[in-house]
Amino acid sequence: MKGERKPKDLTTDELRWILEVTRRLAAPLDLDTMLREVVDVARGVCDADFGMVWLHDAARGELSMQVVPGLEPTRIAADHGIVGECLRLRKAINLPDCHADPRFDREVDLASGYRTRSMLTLPMVGPDDTLVGALQIVNPRDGVFDANDEVVAHLLADQCAVALQRVRMTEQMIRAGKLGQEIAVAREIQLATLPQSAPRVPGYDVAGIFRPADETGGDTYDFVALPGGRYAILMGDATGHGIGPALLATHVRAMLRVALRLEADIDETVRHMNNQLVDDLPDDRFVTAFLGLLDANAHSVRYHAAGQGPLLHFRAATGTCELYPPTSFPLGSLHMPSARAAAVLELAPGDILALASDGIYEYQDVSQREFGADAVAALVSAHHQRPMAELVEVMLRALADFGAGIAQADDLSMVLIRRLPDAALDSAVAASDAGPGMQQRFARSLDSLDAVFDFVGRYFAAEGLDPGLRYAVDLTVEELFANMVRHNAEGKSDIRLALAREGEALLGTIEDFDSPPFDFGAPRATSIGKPLADRRPGGLGLHLIRRMMDSVEYRHADRVTTITFRKGSGRT
Amino acid sequence: MFDVALADNGILRFIGRLDAAQAAKAQAALDAAADPGVIDFALLEYISSAGLGVLLRTQKRLMASGRKLKLVNVNNHIHDIFRYSGFDQIFEIERAAGAPGP
Repeated sequence: MKGERKPKDLTTDELRWILEVTRRLAAPLDLDTMLREVVDVARGVCDADFGMVWLHDAARGELSMQVVPGLEPTRIAADHGIVGECLRLRKAINLPDCHADPRFDREVDLASGYRTRSMLTLPMVGPDDTLVGALQIVNPRDGVFDANDEVVAHLLADQCAVALQRVRMTEQMIRAGKLGQEIAVAREIQLATLPQSAPRVPGYDVAGIFRPADETGGDTYDFVALPGGRYAILMGDATGHGIGPALLATHVRAMLRVALRLEADIDETVRHMNNQLVDDLPDDRFVTAFLGLLDANAHSVRYHAAGQGPLLHFRAATGTCELYPPTSFPLGSLHMPSARAAAVLELAPGDILALASDGIYEYQDVSQREFGADAVAALVSAHHQRPMAELVEVMLRALADFGAGIAQADDLSMVLIRRLPDAALDSAVAASDAGPGMQQRFARSLDSLDAVFDFVGRYFAAEGLDPGLRYAVDLTVEELFANMVRHNAEGKSDIRLALAREGEALLGTIEDFDSPPFDFGAPRATSIGKPLADRRPGGLGLHLIRRMMDSVEYRHADRVTTITFRKGSGRT
Repeated sequence: MFDVALADNGILRFIGRLDAAQAAKAQAALDAAADPGVIDFALLEYISSAGLGVLLRTQKRLMASGRKLKLVNVNNHIHDIFRYSGFDQIFEIERAAGAPGP
């Protein structure tokens, strides 16, 4: 089509404009800027009232209108109106009087109140012959578009088609590759800033997890030991997913660290962090955060919960959880003219403070029901006596069971702080005088037995236990371990064995973290007096260990099987 | 580790620790022996229910043709296991020298 008509008198100015736009289109522009450029030049060269570009969306069979200031972006079917006809014919359509042509959609004028008289529509076809869209210019000042205008507009449309294809390809590449890399880097930075392990707080059991969703989310948490037995605790969640929230979460943590280094008061810290975020963030971005100061000597937590909640406080005295709402709005949402006083929470012996991110409360199952704070509270109450690291595992497993294969949608973070009950404290002190207990995880296979026995041997040596007890402990551990392997071959987790002293007794715990309930009930001791023909090899193991141990207890909850055994005086 | 050796006099020797991971090996050795008769436990340090199961199956097989296993040189710990399980009533057991009588 190009060159069907020769330009009669293309002026130097017109040529210069076209060359200029060609040069500019070769530069890396974003789509909007590029389209504006083309339309401006087309309007200028043809001296028209306005112009627009329709982009062809082959996948949806639609055209979308771009670059008309004051008009809402519009989408129409790809075969609609003059522009549809132009694309179908792949030919320019020059209408001196639109309203005389039946293909013209009068609705557009009626809706906008604008009177379209004369209109030039040109197809934009890429070098590989694909339809990219159409360029449309409307109402030239001198009445109608002449042949000269058509030629100039054609040149522009061709340039525009090439540039458009390039921009689209670049954007695709960025989306697929570069952006992916950047998200990976952002996540790496985010994860690297998280504490590698929970802090050791005397008299407390503290555990935290952070499990990012598939794409980087905006959760963060932090523990910082401060002078005087105090600990700062942060758990935050920046809205949204992707690079922005990940960097924002990292930013919040960095602000807190600086404030702590400056020994700023927690109330002032929250105010300044909030006000800084108000200045930094767009209106629709904010950060929910728990910022607390644990005093491990006074057993109190002063805290701000900025849009973060509910907080769970398990009270050992009543065996129930209380839920506390946030103390204020999310950080970054509203200017805070003066500092607010922190809320205070007292931790009695055995109490637990549990902080969970939205990702946990709002974890969804297949019918989009949410896990909910009550379920979290129930789990905390049911397992409050276990080590907090285990409670975290129980929680994650319960979420996975609840979701039943639904992909994790949001970051999951949780911080658990338990004040040890006085008795546990005493036995912890007693145990520490004889060395701490030992625990180890073993792969779910009978081939692990050598390593299991080796573990028992090391514990006996370390504790100077009576070698005469070794046989009974080996046998007990083997029977329980082998049972877990045989009866739960499908289990996904390792099996953990722990040995410790309980006063003068040896206390063993073996745990299967992913198991159905097991019939541990009646031992098959009844077969012992039976004639040989009726006797079966199975079931003997449990009978034997009941004979050899002082006590054996079985528990099962939330897919965790725990078997505890005791043997009196382990001392020589 | 666990091993089975065949002495010159035709007696099988169990050596080491017979645990659940080694039960198949013990079973194969006993199945391969046409008439095990006597098994020497002198070098056997440990046996669990899995090993008892192996012995029980073998005993049943032999008894079907009127024969029996005899376990000799059984140490105290292992003897306890046979007692606790009632297996001392199934097998003829000779305790290790120096071990106190029943």
